[in-house]
Amino acid sequence: MSGDTIIELKNVGVRYRRRAGFMRSNAFWALHDVSFDLKHGESLGVIGRNGAGKSTLLRLLAGILAPDTGEVMRKTERVSLLALQAGFIPALTGRQNAILSGILLGLTKAEVEARMDEMVSFAELEQFIDEPVRTYSSGMRARLGFTVAFQADPDVLLIDEILGTGDASFREKSSRAMREKIASDKTVVIVTHYPETILDLCDRMVWVEKGVTVEVGEPRSVVEHYQQSLKPGGRRP
Amino acid sequence: MRRTGYLELIWYKGMADLHAEAARAYVGFIWWVLEPLLYMTAFYVAFGLGLRGGGVHTLTFLLCGLVPWKWFASTILSGSNSIQANTGLIQQVYLPKYVLPWMVLVTNGMKFLIILGLLLLLVATLHGVAVTWLALPVIVLVQLLLVAALASLAAALVPLLPDLSLVIDNGIIVLMFVSGVFNDVSKLPPTLAHLLSFNPMVQVIEAYRAVLLDHLWPAWDHLAWVALFAALVYGFAWRLLQRFDRIYPKVMMS
Repeated sequence: MSGDTIIELKNVGVRYRRRAGFMRSNAFWALHDVSFDLKHGESLGVIGRNGAGKSTLLRLLAGILAPDTGEVMRKTERVSLLALQAGFIPALTGRQNAILSGILLGLTKAEVEARMDEMVSFAELEQFIDEPVRTYSSGMRARLGFTVAFQADPDVLLIDEILGTGDASFREKSSRAMREKIASDKTVVIVTHYPETILDLCDRMVWVEKGVTVEVGEPRSVVEHYQQSLKPGGRRP
Repeated sequence: MRRTGYLELIWYKGMADLHAEAARAYVGFIWWVLEPLLYMTAFYVAFGLGLRGGGVHTLTFLLCGLVPWKWFASTILSGSNSIQANTGLIQQVYLPKYVLPWMVLVTNGMKFLIILGLLLLLVATLHGVAVTWLALPVIVLVQLLLVAALASLAAALVPLLPDLSLVIDNGIIVLMFVSGVFNDVSKLPPTLAHLLSFNPMVQVIEAYRAVLLDHLWPAWDHLAWVALFAALVYGFAWRLLQRFDRIYPKVMMS
């Protein structure tokens, strides 16, 4: 299976409408013309400045949005974001939230419960797992959110920034766990505006600017061109 | 996610919201019972004593209208907001949008069952139990179908037409006065009674009263009409939710 195309985008555009008064709206194209393919087992990096359309691109890949122009072809429906703290309800305990979030990410309740001890120890929340999440510090919440999200095992994992979450020591631990997963034969798309953090992890790199794919190819050369464009007087796409 | 996964999600999330609601308010669970009681007392004083002369029968008559009405009204109001209430979630995870009103249906359905249990205790004490109570599950099921249909329709339309939520808020209040919550619709002038009988909630409330207070079987043909109406509305709401499934997250962002 390795090497087969699993998702293909062809000249994809996504438009938002902004309401501008009674019966009027302005169209805003977050993506104009994006084309690339994703192969089974590869790790694909997506780079671009703020506002390049990276978040919209992730939502498109995850099937949250449909394209307004162009085509998205996918061989699997199991494509999802590493969704941190998805559906958390502050009044409920860490344990209840872990189950809720896990079910939202496609696990069954039984699967989440079976992994609970392991998750609690990874998140370092042994003493707090049965306390309401509203009593957690933001660091504790981030640890639980990451740990649960990381349990989901879609065919294609979409990651928005690889920097890790939570306090300093957990950030390192979560970042290491992500790197291990990416380095395995999992199909991953990583979006970032710090290309150097993923340079050694990606098999290929896509550079998106103002909703248009500028370049797709070997990570080092794509990143080099991207960084040149950032310098004053550099070649802008 | 598989179909069974969504069932588990609807159930767990619905129950989680119920827990959260109970944990948030100081009196928590007690409030669910207290609220309809206060509501009922106010209407008993205003309408019961004022218009009908009060008495035990008036009390249970009003309650048999108010308890199902409360379930109907509160579920449609929360249901109409169910896509907006989950804006953050549907940007993070793909969910078919039809599951969102069902989470509200679970939360409010459980509250209704608890309050219905209390109502049954009261009615049993005051009027006794009859074999016609066996029809209750059917009536509850027909009402569930009706509430699910209208809540899903409201959920589908409100994100696209935000002004509609004002129409719904006010429409519910108007509808309360023509649903036979406070009066027996069949005792109204015939033309008016006939007109109001097309309101499905009139049929539902009459069915509860027939079974619980008069110990009669419900009008099955009327319940069948309500079920058919609800099925048609649900079918339409379902198609809307499918049609705009991947549009809602965009609408929410703009």
